[in-house]
Amino acid sequence: MSAATFAQITLDGLLLGGVYALSALGFTMIFGVMRVVNLAHGSFVVLSALLAAWTYERYHLSPLLVLPAAFALAYALGAAIHRFLLRRLPAEVASQEATSLTLTFGLSYFLAGAGLAVFGGTFRAVPYLTGAFNVGPFAIGQARLLAFGAAALLTGALALFLRATPAGRAIRATSQHAEGAQACGIDVDAVRTSAFALGSGIAAASGCLLSLIYTLNPEMGDVFTLNAFAVVAIGGLGSYAGALAGAAILGLAGSYVAYFANAQIAEAAPYVIFILVLLVLPAGLMGKRAA
Amino acid sequence: MSARLGLAVALFVCVVALLAAAGPFLGGYWLAVVYQTLLAIGLAYGWNVISGYAGYFSFGQITFFGIGAYTTALLTSHTSLDWRLAALAGGALAVAVAAPAGAIMLRLRGPFFSLGMLGLAQTLRVVAASSGITGGGTGLYLSATVTPLAVYEWTLAVAALAFAVTAAIDRSAFGLRLCALREDEQVAGTLGVAVTAAKVRAFLISAAIPGLLGGGYAMYLTLVDPPSAFSTRLELQAIVMTVFGGIGTLWGPLVGGVVMSQISEQLWARFPQAYLMIFGGLLVAFLIIVPRGVVPALASRLGGPRRTRVNGTPAAVAAGGEP
Repeated sequence: MSAATFAQITLDGLLLGGVYALSALGFTMIFGVMRVVNLAHGSFVVLSALLAAWTYERYHLSPLLVLPAAFALAYALGAAIHRFLLRRLPAEVASQEATSLTLTFGLSYFLAGAGLAVFGGTFRAVPYLTGAFNVGPFAIGQARLLAFGAAALLTGALALFLRATPAGRAIRATSQHAEGAQACGIDVDAVRTSAFALGSGIAAASGCLLSLIYTLNPEMGDVFTLNAFAVVAIGGLGSYAGALAGAAILGLAGSYVAYFANAQIAEAAPYVIFILVLLVLPAGLMGKRAA
Repeated sequence: MSARLGLAVALFVCVVALLAAAGPFLGGYWLAVVYQTLLAIGLAYGWNVISGYAGYFSFGQITFFGIGAYTTALLTSHTSLDWRLAALAGGALAVAVAAPAGAIMLRLRGPFFSLGMLGLAQTLRVVAASSGITGGGTGLYLSATVTPLAVYEWTLAVAALAFAVTAAIDRSAFGLRLCALREDEQVAGTLGVAVTAAKVRAFLISAAIPGLLGGGYAMYLTLVDPPSAFSTRLELQAIVMTVFGGIGTLWGPLVGGVVMSQISEQLWARFPQAYLMIFGGLLVAFLIIVPRGVVPALASRLGGPRRTRVNGTPAAVAAGGEP
């Protein structure tokens, strides 16, 4: 393999990592604010990708135009899930963490089933911008570049929102210390609802962008949940900067595996990478969690 | 043995003997119904040991069911071994895989463990779908030489074993150790509980039961393929049933299994498309409506034996969070 091919694969991996980063930011925000691992994350990603593919098939709308609608839908759904389901979990139940985890586990099947009912089990993709820019020896897929650009833009906007707006600062304060935030007059409960809504919306936005890259069906939510979990596990749950590094690593790993291994091994790659990440970094992870 | 315990054991033996004796008189339909119920109960008991008693929520115990199913299918099609011995070997292999897998996975806590197990199940599903030995995506077809009645009896035996093991755990010091590490692993360790040994043991029990059941299922379907062996449906079903009946209780999986498997079967037969949606929705609903399960809820309402388990952190209990 030539150096140029290697550089090409690396570039593809980094572009993919950009979209993973956006997806993982939604996941890590929900964990940071609520200490809830959202297993329905991947379902939001996949359903929104399928929505984008479906509207493209029917109306030839660009996934970028569907993105705001998918974001708004997922935002409303996420807010409802927190208000009416997660908040109703009785406080005295033994392990809140396990209960909320199991709830979102059930939710992921509910959403996957709903996706099957609406979109059917067929795999869909968006044949949009299939060409490539040739820059020197590299061929940069237009769709991939567009997905990366949009993801980078949204990630920047999110960072700005979290740093510079009162609502964003309330989210960060709540994830740092919920009781302290409450003592400062922040309505922690409302912040949690908006964080869950925003996290779901971001998952949906990243789904629209991933529809440009992947061929998907409703039952593939697990892949993206585990993917987001692995991304944030590398950097530490609840850490935004860590998620960016994790996303780059995972994007590269996915790209290399897809090139060097056959298609079937590539299918198992997200799971294997996920387990390896957990096994290589358990001590680091635990330290982060205990803090 | 106290008189009460003796009575309970006698009752248990009677029920199992009755179910075994009734087998030949059940028609094809009812045999299938009771078989599915027993299978569901067995899987729920298997899940309950590691997730309910030890508090390590596993979303991948179906891994061991699949190992049992494939082992049995391969052994019976390549050798002349009796299928029951093959199914036993399947259970043994499930335990043999669970020992290293558990030692590694149980270093992870909370959601890390839950998702690690989910990843393990998905990995094995992909491996089974792509490997030549396991027949790839089409799976392995078995010649139908085993009667459904024989599978029924096998499954009854394993489900009864699962119940008996859980009853023994529920009354034993081992069970108390599991509950202690569930409530607070560090404190349990400080108090002298060999935490790692206890949870690995619980994990092995939770692997052996589905491992033994898998072989029967393969023989029943006369087919093993990745979706049936690593069945998302059966995994979700075991969790829903246990949550409904009562996580970490002796009677929860039995009550949940008997009640829910009827609903489950009807749904699966009539609306396979909507099945996952409805069962996922039921899981969410049960967690909110009967978070501790119907068995503990009924027991406290009927003023049954006062063996309330203290749930929650010491601070929460002191603050009056728990009755």
